[in-house]
Amino acid sequence: MNSDEFEQRLRRQPIRTIPEEWRTQILRSAAVSQSAGPMKEHSFSWRELFWPSPHAWAGLAAVWAVILVLNVASSESTTSPVAQLPPAPPSPQILIALELQRQLRAELMEIPEAAKPEKVEPARPRSEAVATNHHV
Amino acid sequence: MRRPPSFLDLAELYDSHAQALFGFLLNFMRDEEDTQDVLQEVFLRIGRRPELLDGVRDRRGFLIRLSHNLAIDLMRRRTTREKTLERVRFESIPLFASSSDPDENAFRMALSEAMGELPPDQRAVVHLKLWEGLTFDAIAEVLGVSLNTAASRYRYGIDKLRHHLRPLYDEIK
Repeated sequence: MNSDEFEQRLRRQPIRTIPEEWRTQILRSAAVSQSAGPMKEHSFSWRELFWPSPHAWAGLAAVWAVILVLNVASSESTTSPVAQLPPAPPSPQILIALELQRQLRAELMEIPEAAKPEKVEPARPRSEAVATNHHV
Repeated sequence: MRRPPSFLDLAELYDSHAQALFGFLLNFMRDEEDTQDVLQEVFLRIGRRPELLDGVRDRRGFLIRLSHNLAIDLMRRRTTREKTLERVRFESIPLFASSSDPDENAFRMALSEAMGELPPDQRAVVHLKLWEGLTFDAIAEVLGVSLNTAASRYRYGIDKLRHHLRPLYDEIK
């Protein structure tokens, strides 16, 4: 197949005609905007930025704020002897806040809520674990 | 100093360039509704800010560049799910006028489908080269790419079209 011949063949194919009814509609909108004067060009994109759910975004921000406050409230001085111990498991309030955050994120991403993560038992004190083993 | 486009001039602008913009956008976006939205936005912007055309010698090139940028903005805002749903419609978009000759019609349908198989950046270059008759220099300027990029995208695009259409082309030649 000759290259030029092929391209000529393509070039000869006529593009569809623009629908006639578009002319009135588009020119009318343009005339209205012309009489309204200059506008901020990106105003419509702000709406897109907060789509699909502004409430979900606000909820997510609130959950993060709660987590931050709880973390700050539960933190201790680094010079304290307690700070040398392994970090304590997260408080129930933080766990609830994290779960709520996960649900909001799933809602935003339109993913069916996945199976809830396995419930992780908080680490038991070693003495309790040893006592259990003795009973077996 | 050029006076800003009046309403009457917008009509003249539309009559002079809308068909070309329609063809480019329909080919690029593969969706008639999106094409109408972007075309409307183009003229809205010109209506709001007629000074955009002040001093512009190549109005067609300017409008194509504006259309291309707005189309990309719209396509980027599409969510993944919407893109998946739209993909179903891509192959069925008729780009070309229908013909009374059945063989010619079949070729046009196949060409329309083949264009849909090209990546958007190749599709844009092929369209501007074949149906707008732009040089690679002009295409590079309109699309904001280098001359080499424009030329290579065209080559890749044409090769894919040739491969896709070879059986039909040889049959009806």
